[in-house]
Amino acid sequence: MAERREAFKMLFSANSAKVETNKGDAYYDKLFKQCRARLDELKATQPLQAIDFQEILSDEGYDRREFMKWASAATAMLMLPPMFTPLVAEAAELMTRVPVIWLELQDCAGNSEALLRSDGPKIDEILLDIISLEFHETLMMAAGHQAEAQLHDAMETFKGKYLLFVEGSIPMGMEGQYGTVGASGETFHEHLLRVAADAAAIVAVGSCATYGGVPAAAPNPTGAVGVMDVISGKPIINIPACPANPANMVGVILHFVLTGQIPELDSLLRPKFAFGYRIHDNCERRAHFDAGEYVEEWGDEGAKNNFCLYKVGCKGPMTFNNCSIIRYNDAVNWPIGVGRGCIGCSEPDFWDKYAYERPMADANIKAPTGGVEKTVDEFGLGVLTATAIGIGIHAAASAVAGKKSDEGEAQ
Amino acid sequence: MKPGYKQITRMTPAMRTVHWINVVSVLAAVITGLYIAHPYYQSLIADPALDKYVMAWNRWIHLIGAIMIDVTSIIVVYLYFFSRFDKPYKKLIPNRANVQEFFEVIYNLVTLNRRKMFDSTHSDSFNVVYFTIMHLMLLFMLFTGLQLYVQGLASGQSSIGAWWPWLLHLSTDWTLWVFGSKMGVRIAHHMTMWWIIAWVMFHVYYQVWRTIFWQEGDIAIAFGGSKFKKETKSE
Repeated sequence: MAERREAFKMLFSANSAKVETNKGDAYYDKLFKQCRARLDELKATQPLQAIDFQEILSDEGYDRREFMKWASAATAMLMLPPMFTPLVAEAAELMTRVPVIWLELQDCAGNSEALLRSDGPKIDEILLDIISLEFHETLMMAAGHQAEAQLHDAMETFKGKYLLFVEGSIPMGMEGQYGTVGASGETFHEHLLRVAADAAAIVAVGSCATYGGVPAAAPNPTGAVGVMDVISGKPIINIPACPANPANMVGVILHFVLTGQIPELDSLLRPKFAFGYRIHDNCERRAHFDAGEYVEEWGDEGAKNNFCLYKVGCKGPMTFNNCSIIRYNDAVNWPIGVGRGCIGCSEPDFWDKYAYERPMADANIKAPTGGVEKTVDEFGLGVLTATAIGIGIHAAASAVAGKKSDEGEAQ
Repeated sequence: MKPGYKQITRMTPAMRTVHWINVVSVLAAVITGLYIAHPYYQSLIADPALDKYVMAWNRWIHLIGAIMIDVTSIIVVYLYFFSRFDKPYKKLIPNRANVQEFFEVIYNLVTLNRRKMFDSTHSDSFNVVYFTIMHLMLLFMLFTGLQLYVQGLASGQSSIGAWWPWLLHLSTDWTLWVFGSKMGVRIAHHMTMWWIIAWVMFHVYYQVWRTIFWQEGDIAIAFGGSKFKKETKSE
């Protein structure tokens, strides 16, 4: 915890908060050459899966033109200039060459669902299907000792090269005994440390793996923490949100394939291309916020007219994520688009501090003793009431028994 | 002037100006801040959204009030140490005389003015401590408020240049670390408002109480800058 705070503090430097969308021609020319070299190098290696990407695309009903449209959108999402589009397209085709190990810890498997699920897969999801997923406890056929042998194999074969995706928080309470995995009864913590040791980089997917998420919500019975709380000395990329947007997973992998490096991160180790902007500033209902037009209750006239959801608890003004821009399911829709507020799922402590569907003034907060929950305003009015009672008692006592300074002396 | 009384200057024109700017700004910030935290009235104006800026005006007034408090805060910090009139920091030093005076003022308050064993002509150390608490709360509001404000400058740019968000991040990002998240900062900012209102309630009461029971015209300090003290030999 202390270490995390140190890192947190250090990373909150002024630079980290800035999103530089244009770094100049010289920078991009150099990066282009680097990426070209990196892709050529990858091309020379054997694909880990015998898959023809173009064939899969056409099987799913996507033609080349649609793929290139996707590639330019992905380039823009990564905040790269248009000249990188052909490279991004190439990188997508080379994603079969990136070994990925996926660990699932204390969570609901929602990010695995996000990785897999779609009714009619979009290009993002197809790409996630063709990455070389060497190990994924939830999805793989093998179990028990066979699964462990598989993990061991993958770790040996791709030592130092694999991307480690982690989903779920790490329970640290009761010496980690809240979660064990495999026949050996290894705790989640030990399991993560062992697999992380030889990873090229770690991608914490979802809010649980990033900050502890829902399992870490008060009173956090299992002592759940995020990956960055327990791992040090490895590049860590956080893709929070509940679940993480598959587009951002693709973005991170694409960036890794393209450059061999992790993307530029913000103070919470989140890629800036995805978490550099506030939801609120790109929200289609923003005009209603400024106008003071709010949905007062679900289904009222305001709701029918797409008014701002701030009063029913939208946390867009305090949440950094790109879902107001790229949305979900190939930009079909997103929470605010369907008429319910943002719950700030990509921010630390979101379950306790964001997801209560009321404005912050009506949010329950804990007393300093950890006891009774009251809203911020109830606390505040309590303070004022106590002050008023104190003043009242003193004023009454003064009126009855107070002594004015010149009384007595004047007579 | 009533014979037998002497006039004592307690607040210079600059101090009184700062005082009343703060009163107006805090009042405006509270009224608009409550709206920002939970919009408590509806903008039933038959105009399209782009013509009425109810939340935007509330935020504008809130931010202007905040800027005025920020400026007066800097002046107040300067005057604490370098005022040619009274240097309040001298009353904050916990030496024997100040500690004794601090408790004497409290005894005076709880004994309903039956015991008054300190010199009430000058700003006493209880008063200075009490005002310092207010200024610290205002400084806290300044830092947490600017942190909430800089979240809207995600691009790192502003109309007055990139240095402004840079400076705000540099000076206020520690609040994120202290309160754990953006919402933590927001809750702390809102909660502190209630403490400030409670502070104001007692402040107004206490000044009225002093005026009634001390009979020295203390309430006039904030307006005319001076109070009166009976000339006696006993002090």
